[in-house]
Amino acid sequence: MKKNNIEGWLFVSPLVIWISLIILVPIYIAFELSLFNVKIIGTTGKFIGIDNYIKIFGKSKFLNASLNSLYWIIGNAICQTFFAFTIALTINYKFPGKKIMANWIILSFIIPTVVVVVIWKLMLSSSSGVINSVLIDIGLLNEATGFFSSPNKAFISLILINSWRWSPFLALIILSGLNSINREMYDASKVDGANFIQQFLFITFPNLKNVLFVLGLVGTLLSFNIFDIIWLITKGGPSNATTTLPLLIYETAFTKFRISQAATLSIITSFLLLLFSIIFIKSMAPKEDD
Amino acid sequence: MIKENNIKLLFLSVSLLLIILIFFFPFFWIITSSFKSPEEIIATSTTIIPRSFTLEHYNKILFNSDFFIYLKNSLIVSFSSMIISIILSVSAAYGLHKLKFYGNKFVEYSLLVTYAFPGVILLVPIYLLFAKVNLLNSYFALIIVNVLFATPFAVWMLKAFFKLIPNEIEEAAYIDGASRYIVISKIIIPLAAPGIASVAIFCFIISWTEYLFASILISGDHLKTLPVGLAGIVGQYQIDWGFLLSGAVLASLPVILLFVFIGKYFVSGLTEGAVK
Amino acid sequence: MNKVILFIFTILFSISSYAATNVTFWHMEGVPHRVDRIQTLIDEFNSANPDINVTQEVQNWGEIYAKAPASVAAGTAPEILVGIPDFTPILADMGAAQPVEDFVAELDSKYGFYQKALDQYTYNGHTWAVPLWNMGLSLWYRKSDFEAAGIEPPKTWSDLKKAAKALTKDGVYGIGLPGNKQLYTDQTIYSFMVNSGAEEIYNSDGTLRFDNPETVAAYDVYKELYQYSAPDAANWTWGEAEACFASKGCAMILQFTVISTYDSQAGGDASDLGVIQIPYANGKAHRAGTVSYVNSAMIMTDDEAKMEASKKFLSFLMEPGNYGRFINMEPGLFLPITEAGSKDSTYWDDPVVVKYKSQVETMLDNSTRGSLFGFTNGNTFTSISSISAQNLLAQTLQLTLIDDKSPKDAVSEGMEIMTEAIE
Repeated sequence: MKKNNIEGWLFVSPLVIWISLIILVPIYIAFELSLFNVKIIGTTGKFIGIDNYIKIFGKSKFLNASLNSLYWIIGNAICQTFFAFTIALTINYKFPGKKIMANWIILSFIIPTVVVVVIWKLMLSSSSGVINSVLIDIGLLNEATGFFSSPNKAFISLILINSWRWSPFLALIILSGLNSINREMYDASKVDGANFIQQFLFITFPNLKNVLFVLGLVGTLLSFNIFDIIWLITKGGPSNATTTLPLLIYETAFTKFRISQAATLSIITSFLLLLFSIIFIKSMAPKEDD
Repeated sequence: MIKENNIKLLFLSVSLLLIILIFFFPFFWIITSSFKSPEEIIATSTTIIPRSFTLEHYNKILFNSDFFIYLKNSLIVSFSSMIISIILSVSAAYGLHKLKFYGNKFVEYSLLVTYAFPGVILLVPIYLLFAKVNLLNSYFALIIVNVLFATPFAVWMLKAFFKLIPNEIEEAAYIDGASRYIVISKIIIPLAAPGIASVAIFCFIISWTEYLFASILISGDHLKTLPVGLAGIVGQYQIDWGFLLSGAVLASLPVILLFVFIGKYFVSGLTEGAVK
Repeated sequence: MNKVILFIFTILFSISSYAATNVTFWHMEGVPHRVDRIQTLIDEFNSANPDINVTQEVQNWGEIYAKAPASVAAGTAPEILVGIPDFTPILADMGAAQPVEDFVAELDSKYGFYQKALDQYTYNGHTWAVPLWNMGLSLWYRKSDFEAAGIEPPKTWSDLKKAAKALTKDGVYGIGLPGNKQLYTDQTIYSFMVNSGAEEIYNSDGTLRFDNPETVAAYDVYKELYQYSAPDAANWTWGEAEACFASKGCAMILQFTVISTYDSQAGGDASDLGVIQIPYANGKAHRAGTVSYVNSAMIMTDDEAKMEASKKFLSFLMEPGNYGRFINMEPGLFLPITEAGSKDSTYWDDPVVVKYKSQVETMLDNSTRGSLFGFTNGNTFTSISSISAQNLLAQTLQLTLIDDKSPKDAVSEGMEIMTEAIE
């Protein structure tokens, strides 16, 4: 196909300009701030060059938050992949009520995050939460447990809550990928005697490559960015166990009042995510089939 | 063969049960709880089937709070964000898909990489920027941000839908002398309509659920969106669970109602349209 | 025709409102009936003062720490901002909050502020905000529980430990204490510190004296009591503690008030609801006190006319006859901050206050003896904001509750964190 440089750019430029303005100008402002030692936003500070960058790498808080973010991404990836595939593969079967389920599974994704928080705070409460009382009734627990009381429990609970929110949406995307797979491939493989695990590994999975590539990239970035669910439930606690990088940035800016340090963290974080994206795209991008 | 079918059946029933428990039961519980008396909600002996029934929480929220103002704001912001997002992303997706141009791949990946800049990072700079251009406390401030969050993924989804339209149809139209504009408005958009509809709903949801920016960029009560309004009507020192639960239900209700009517298009548009 | 009249009215109205001085009032009391009460007062004020136009804008506590400084930076700050003491130093440092000592002195001579109220806003040679109302932690319990267990309400820490143990039984936690890294936990742990004589965080030269045996003693007793608290207390804020008490899941809690929840969600038997002063360390009866939070209004404009208008509005709120109605926007939660205010009949006339009169009197009495970390005896430095905004008292507590360090090690590590924070 011949190139349509001018027309092509004409079509993409409104969006490209919109997004660049709203991202690049703020990033520039943040970069400028990171070279000063401004504490409270709106006050002035001294130019200190790259001092902020040097200092941050020595901070245990930064390391701790980076690790938390890493665990957060991995935990969410595992959990959401599991949930999303379970949902997608289940809905792909024929069963009574399939339509209703397919239409409404998305419920947890369409409600405001604030509502997600309300639901799970009450469900997981140790005094009046339904989960504790059911677990006690069926004998899995002896007494009520606090789902956010220890670092590990809080972290896992948050991953589950976040996955609860996102998995159904991912499932629908995967489902659309599944639907695009040629039925005949399954039939042919059956003739060859493949069982359904083999079908999954050799037909389903490879054919979802394109979908999985984008979900892998965008999903990772979006999970990384999750702020409100964590902030509204644990505020990063207990003992900073759920302080991921976005929370650390927010805290540094608005509870520690070190806006320049927060800006520095922001720039470093963006850089790391960009690096990740580039590597991910370079190594995983599927060949275009057109 | 029989054995395999049994395994499938087992998988199906176990996963169905899990899905219903995990993804549907919470809604049942929250909705029923919002009609319980305050005593029953906080009682240490939790009830799954409610023992009491009251409308007091709904009364309070519907008639004593600014619920309808928040609702109006959320609708305005979400609809406008949706429409702008769709216009921008249909155009961009078409450009990316049909018009090979210099930098095509770069733009495509850059769009996805937009998500590499966490909202928290942009929060303060955007506040300062919007203050300079006098955009704080306006619907447009929220719309600008929502479009930013919705479009990158929307473009990717749309591109997949456009791919499904055979090139031949379009080329035939050009041979008949149709202009680019005619082709897009008379062929591409109608053919990709189910897909566009689901992407539109996606954009709507992204705006509907946004909290962080809405809470910072807006300070007047008359402009608050539902999530922010809901977070605010709860006092700092007390939790009125009944109030909060009925608020949660009401804040979700509009999107749920929307879904009653268009949900099946969203899902079928998304799944049968085959994102690939 | 109608349209023309409407048009003329619109013009006239916009001219007149243009001439009026606009005052924006930011506060964080978003519960609908509180907003309504404030609006009632604003309407009265506006109609009595046609040259001033006050409007309220409700903010959320969750974001105000980010939003207020940002609004100052962007030049969109309100004229009046309600806040708590930890917040004021930040805005004073920014040059946003204006000194108001003359205005406060004037109000003081008329209505008589409780002295401790002014402590929380006086430093760097100025008073930075107008105290509006007070809140103080007390110990809440049910009298019938103590009778059933055959014990007296606790006065000292050892009484308290005994009571917590005795009241713990199947499905009931003896005492509900939070372990969250959050303001509520700051308040509860500090209320123990006050009662062991560790109320001073700073030395008079601005260095910290947090790491001392009295502080360690407070953290120690807290840790011991925490085992009787609910398992999810590590994630509690005020509301969860209150719900635990209201549902009889917790026998005792430390709370500003439980009255409205107790009344609406727990049967509301006023004669059974007990409230007392927070117990003190053995032998430290003379130290008996609590933590108190004086909420105040900062004036954020240096425009002469707007400043005068803001003062006029605040004077209006502080005036007996209005004042009682103002703080009764949430009856039984906000306590009077002036002598005159605590005699205001519009305060005591509220049905909820009438019903729980003895409890409210105890709360009020406790609150006048309340102090706040970092704002004691004139040893106040604006760096306290860094300690309180980050909830470092609570963070130190988590070092021992969650990470299981000894109270002594936790306090000394907490001191290091604080020292770094105030640099």
